[in-house]
Amino acid sequence: MVFVTGIGIISAIGKNVSETLSSLLESRTGIGKINHLQTIHKDNYVAGEVNYSLQELENLAGLKNSNYNRTTLLSLLATQEALISAEIKDISTHRTGFISASSVGGMCHSELLYKDFLERKPHKNFIDTHYTGSHATDVAKHFGIIDYVTTISTACSSAANAIMLGARLINNNILDRVVVGGTDALCKFTFNGFNTLMILDKEWCKPFDNNRKGLNLGEGAAYLVLESERVVKAENKKPLAILSGYGNANDAFHQTASSPDGQGAYAAIQKALEVANLSPIKIDYINAHGTGTANNDSSEAAALQNIFKENIPPFSSTKAFTGHTLAAAASIEAVISILSIQQKTIFPNLNCVTHMQDTKLFPVTSLQKNAELNHVLSNSFGFGGNCSSLIFSKN
Amino acid sequence: MENLIENLKKQIIEQLNLAEVKPEDIDPSAPLFGEGLGLDSIDALELIVLLEKNYGLKIQEPKDAKNIFQSVKTLAEYITSQKK
Amino acid sequence: MAMYINGTGCISHQNTIDVDDFFENSRIDLLPLLPTQEPDYKDYVPTNMLRRMSHIIKMGVAAAKISLQQAETENVDAIITGTGLGCFEDTDKFLKTIIENNEQLLTPTSFIQSTHNTVAGQIALLIKCHNYNFTYTQQGLSFESALIDAAMFLNENKNSNILVGGLDEAIQPYYDLLVKAGHIKKQGDVITEIEKNKTKGFCLGEGASFFVLSTKKNKTTKTQIKGIKTFTAIKGSNDLQNKLTAFLQELNLSVDDVNLVLSGNSGNVEDDKLLNENNKHFFSKTDIAYFKTLCGEYFTASAFALWLASAIIEKQKIPKALTQEHSNKKDLKNILIIDQYRNTEYSFMCVSSC
Repeated sequence: MVFVTGIGIISAIGKNVSETLSSLLESRTGIGKINHLQTIHKDNYVAGEVNYSLQELENLAGLKNSNYNRTTLLSLLATQEALISAEIKDISTHRTGFISASSVGGMCHSELLYKDFLERKPHKNFIDTHYTGSHATDVAKHFGIIDYVTTISTACSSAANAIMLGARLINNNILDRVVVGGTDALCKFTFNGFNTLMILDKEWCKPFDNNRKGLNLGEGAAYLVLESERVVKAENKKPLAILSGYGNANDAFHQTASSPDGQGAYAAIQKALEVANLSPIKIDYINAHGTGTANNDSSEAAALQNIFKENIPPFSSTKAFTGHTLAAAASIEAVISILSIQQKTIFPNLNCVTHMQDTKLFPVTSLQKNAELNHVLSNSFGFGGNCSSLIFSKN
Repeated sequence: MENLIENLKKQIIEQLNLAEVKPEDIDPSAPLFGEGLGLDSIDALELIVLLEKNYGLKIQEPKDAKNIFQSVKTLAEYITSQKK
Repeated sequence: MAMYINGTGCISHQNTIDVDDFFENSRIDLLPLLPTQEPDYKDYVPTNMLRRMSHIIKMGVAAAKISLQQAETENVDAIITGTGLGCFEDTDKFLKTIIENNEQLLTPTSFIQSTHNTVAGQIALLIKCHNYNFTYTQQGLSFESALIDAAMFLNENKNSNILVGGLDEAIQPYYDLLVKAGHIKKQGDVITEIEKNKTKGFCLGEGASFFVLSTKKNKTTKTQIKGIKTFTAIKGSNDLQNKLTAFLQELNLSVDDVNLVLSGNSGNVEDDKLLNENNKHFFSKTDIAYFKTLCGEYFTASAFALWLASAIIEKQKIPKALTQEHSNKKDLKNILIIDQYRNTEYSFMCVSSC
């Protein structure tokens, strides 16, 4: 069994777990005006920006002249909180790994200097911190995690895959403890990239609404500390949740679009249920991928319909709170799922008003307290047909 | 119109990197998507940009593009109709 | 637990498509940027997919196809890739257009092809594989991470077939950025005997190496991977030696059982220091060859090393270019690959006959 003993998070709805929980309980979205990202589109779009400048993030981390880019600082802050939350005093007591995920990596910094590079003007070197794996090297080193470090980059399912790998490393007795999650900062590259796909909503997104127009991008980082049963017993810990199921599958339909029947999503959910040894009826709540694009929400709804048939559990997308945080999404939503279990509360799918025409599904749109949540399913689907699902269970 | 159709064929081949296809291989009335040239949703987005870049015509919603991009002929007709 | 290599495919600076030609005619080229010998990609990828593919994607998909052909299967239970740099050609293209057009009139193709898991995704599309699909991007340990995942997967699913690959591209803008950062060797400093090198910088290579792995031997099985280990914090010579000793012990091997060491010297005198010290003392009686003289340095060069080790054991001969003294060596049973990237990431792989 794999236990979650610590969580850390930073996103548009808060710089830590406590602020995040307040925002969720008060239905307070983090989507709004773009303040820090320098793009010509900034006044025409909204996003889930973390409300701190690069300098402010460095101050929050207690660092000075670190030269860490935004992606790395977000990762560092969330990892720091997760380690404190797991009450880890000495990282070397057990075989410990760091499995992170990012799609942006150092691009948030590289793109600011690329023009000078192209024009052969003098500029500071940026290539060494450009890679998606650079942040993991830096953050693992910062916290003294040496037994195993790696980075996964599978677009929007990345952090789910990092979490899954962490669990497998424990189950295969390669590690006793592993910090898992993902990070991505907003940057011009991804902003313009999603814009070329015409899947950005200029206004606040409406996941699962019939009139949805697309997604809002977000940024942030979140990490979980996973520990083996042996470590939990040895240290007398009180786990926050159990990571009971996980599954990854490929849609193999198209480079970016999801299949209409959600085949990849269906397979990923099915695998997660198998690992958890649960039948679909046992799922009490689904934190959906729910980006707010026409294609994704229909595809995911089809998959949910096929798996759960008549008994679709209550579900919501929390991307109308945080925006779509890309490689960090699955870990941010994992933390939110765990908070749901702890708080016995289903956080709402904000901004959804009209039923989708092609399906009977409708999400939970207002805060639901006193919800007995024993098993929560969290979905994350990315480009390249990469579909992942996680199941968190009450301890 | 003939000229426009010929130009569009060349632009489509270039924009979508259809290295093996020659302009004379493209039947102006044949479907561009699904069958015919077998283009997909990413190609549709590329053509939307081509339309704006080369002809100054902006399509706001990808779903409006379906009718316009049915064939090279319908695309040429759309461009011609907008120039009036 | 051993992983059997049932098929391989490699595209590199050498002619690794024609293995016999490779053993005869591969050579060490003294160039800071090593060009790649590429096949006709139309032989491996349908034209409508090929048109969108950048350099690394073509290399990866073709190498993957070759390995599947050798393993005589298109059914795999997992596709796992490792790439440190990812799809830089598309990244550079999209970034350039953003800058030149001031974020206007941008087209999606290069953006969507720039995500790191594009190769794994395209392979899945090509062979209609709906199964497990992961991409690792931990710089110099990207390929090793993919292999470690494969080992776990095979342990969890004993009857499976897995496609694993390591790939990176060396396009001009990336090369220019590395030159600017001081990582590339000056032309005049490149020498054949990489272990005797006294200057900084490395020669940049690129390539794609793919493998079909399983826990079961079949008629296409070539070799086996006996063990793999990675390290992100080696504290000097003694530490490296201790870790090597432990690694060999776990595999029930002694130093004498190792017939050949493929050492990952990059040609950067500072980064190669520990390897050289280790080779001098630990492997004083073992034959050592330096694989990066054939493929250059890049994040996933260890995947080339694995391909090479497997080919050497399968053919029971060593390419002439690699080592003059040992090219007639016989009875090659165990090859140890010791790789490093920028003296921060180290890995051991043991490849054996089976």
